[in-house]
Amino acid sequence: MPGGGRCPECGSAELVEDSHYSQSQLVCSDCGCVVTEGTLTTTYSDEGHLREVTYSRSTGESEQASRSQQRGLRRVRDLCRVLQLPPTFEDTAVAYYQQAYRHSGIRAARLQKKEVLVGCCVLITCRQHNWPLTMGTICTLLYADLDVFSSTYLQMVKLLGLDVPSLCLADLVKTYCSSFKLFQASASVPAKYVEDKEKMLARTLQLVELANETWLVTGRHPLPVITAATFLAWQSLRPSGRLTCSLAQFCKLASVDLPYPASSRLQELLAVLLRMAEQLAWLQVLNLDKRSVVKHIGDLLQHRHTLVRAAFRDGAVEAETREPGRQGPEQGQGEEEAAPGSSSGLPQRKRPASPAPLLPPCMLKPPKRIPPTPSVSTVTGDEDISDSEIEQYLRTPQEVREFQRAQASSQATRSVPNPP
Amino acid sequence: MDQNNSLPPYAQGLASPQGAMTPGIPIFSPMMPYGTGLTPQPIQNTNSLSILEEQQRQQQQQQQQQQQQQQQQQQAVAAAAAAVQQSTSQQATQGVSGQTPQLFHSQTLTTAPLPGTTPLYPSPMTPMTPITPATPASESSGIVPQLQNIVSTVNLGCKLDLKTIALRARNAEYNPKRFAAVIMRIREPRTTALIFSSGKMVCTGAKSEEQSRLAARKYARVVQKLGFPAKFLDFKIQNMVGSCDVKFPIRLEGLVLTHQQFSSYEPELFPGLIYRMIKPRIVLLIFVSGKVVLTGAKVRAEIYEAFENIYPILKGFRKTT
Repeated sequence: MPGGGRCPECGSAELVEDSHYSQSQLVCSDCGCVVTEGTLTTTYSDEGHLREVTYSRSTGESEQASRSQQRGLRRVRDLCRVLQLPPTFEDTAVAYYQQAYRHSGIRAARLQKKEVLVGCCVLITCRQHNWPLTMGTICTLLYADLDVFSSTYLQMVKLLGLDVPSLCLADLVKTYCSSFKLFQASASVPAKYVEDKEKMLARTLQLVELANETWLVTGRHPLPVITAATFLAWQSLRPSGRLTCSLAQFCKLASVDLPYPASSRLQELLAVLLRMAEQLAWLQVLNLDKRSVVKHIGDLLQHRHTLVRAAFRDGAVEAETREPGRQGPEQGQGEEEAAPGSSSGLPQRKRPASPAPLLPPCMLKPPKRIPPTPSVSTVTGDEDISDSEIEQYLRTPQEVREFQRAQASSQATRSVPNPP
Repeated sequence: MDQNNSLPPYAQGLASPQGAMTPGIPIFSPMMPYGTGLTPQPIQNTNSLSILEEQQRQQQQQQQQQQQQQQQQQQAVAAAAAAVQQSTSQQATQGVSGQTPQLFHSQTLTTAPLPGTTPLYPSPMTPMTPITPATPASESSGIVPQLQNIVSTVNLGCKLDLKTIALRARNAEYNPKRFAAVIMRIREPRTTALIFSSGKMVCTGAKSEEQSRLAARKYARVVQKLGFPAKFLDFKIQNMVGSCDVKFPIRLEGLVLTHQQFSSYEPELFPGLIYRMIKPRIVLLIFVSGKVVLTGAKVRAEIYEAFENIYPILKGFRKTT
């Protein structure tokens, strides 16, 4: 029944909307009095019968985006254009922003958070379309802190209940490698450093796959691993001129930022390659070290699957059949490995040196401190508390006096900055 | 990659962590929802042992049991404490395990089937032995998560003057511009408390529920000695954090693929995988080294249950790497 209105004659609340021909009327169903005619009224009493709704309850408010939301949507579109994303991404990102904005927690958030929210929407859109965009890139573009970004991102994913796929490593490798300015000679890049893009990409991908297999990628930021892999790929494609170039120099001449963990990832990757090289007979005699192994990365990558299986002990790995018909080096390795008298079906236990366990580096390092054995405590929670134990935590009156005196004097010095 | 194929058949039901450990028969004793009525005495005896000792004892007993089930049980029934019908981890319904631990300290006591009854339906009238039931289908992981931190709150029941407390207590710090509470520390048990002017207090840093309670009482006693009429009302444990090590590496990328709806793995932000288990409501941080941190529990049993739920999932992953 129409809300709020009462018939001025009989006081009944039973007002019905009834139309007389084309004119709408509000009529009391008890006494038949016409309360209002039409939708235009001139008197105050008539207005009382119109069903007015306050603006906050009207549909107008929720349809119209607030100014801050409009600005946010504009920022989303701008960011998509700056990143040169396909046009469909823009609409998805805008939709996510609007969806997030409906939650009161986001609406009432600080402007800084709303700025970062723009980045989160774009990132989620890119992830869902497998477009490799890192959080670091977005934070740089938005001049935002990674901590603020991470908290907003996690909050948004939880709030909207989204399923965000992981960063696609292969695509990231392709995008990141292409950004290295090494494919054309220029003032900063001498001819001997120029490299073919396809070859470098292919080798970097193989190195990243190798790193993934040997636990160097799980739990770590992906970008430093890719930087290290790109560097190794570039060096190994023409080792003669490039061995003297360090990782930092390489990044500088390619005009790419060097991420801090990249050097330790490089060392880890070289250690893995060295272990693999120990499995190849003709490389064993060369006594390779971390610099000279770079020259043989091509060979090592060619047979990486078998070498990893041979070089690392992993209890769960089954002995798979070797790929038949490989070239000479592989045959030589097979003979060498069969020689120590082990059966052909087990590639693991061949080498005289015991194969290293295939574990993430954090498990290979010795523990910093021995985890304390849990002491058996016999506390019940209801024991008596001795007074002396509590007394040790209370100040004596003399201490209190001294403390007060010290406080007063420090207050005095603070309140008089320039003593006379 | 279909993870389910690699899980042992008994854990098929565990593909989603909500599944119960055993093929879903809850042990439910209508006679003792709290277990108080029957034998209060033995409970106090077990309180004098640590929970860990109790658990280890139980596990040893369980192994013996599985060899000579009937005879061992009869002896154990005669000797052991009884009455806590707290079939934790594996079969507890949420309500049971949620309510009782506040009253008892020996929360991890579980029941074992008695001779003469079907193995999974113990008779409600006879006292239960505090031994993990020999669930034939599954094996326990043998790893017990260690509690690292307990957060509890208590109401001292009176308004406090924080300035006085900071002045007259040695172990207190108070900086009203930074935080509106006194930070007090005691050495034994090594804990920290935040004491607010309303009389409410938060106690953190204890390694067990009893230690937390003892520490909270000591803080209340200190406040009492400072001249305030402090009481000890509504002691409640708000959060428990545990950790353990499964000792094998875990492929986090694979885990997030198969358990997408529960996991969040962002290597750019945090090296661990955040797994939000629904039953029990626990958040687990799983790292590539195999270390697992469990948090968000209100009772110890939830931590154990959560770990028992996640262990087969993690083990399933180990074989496919």
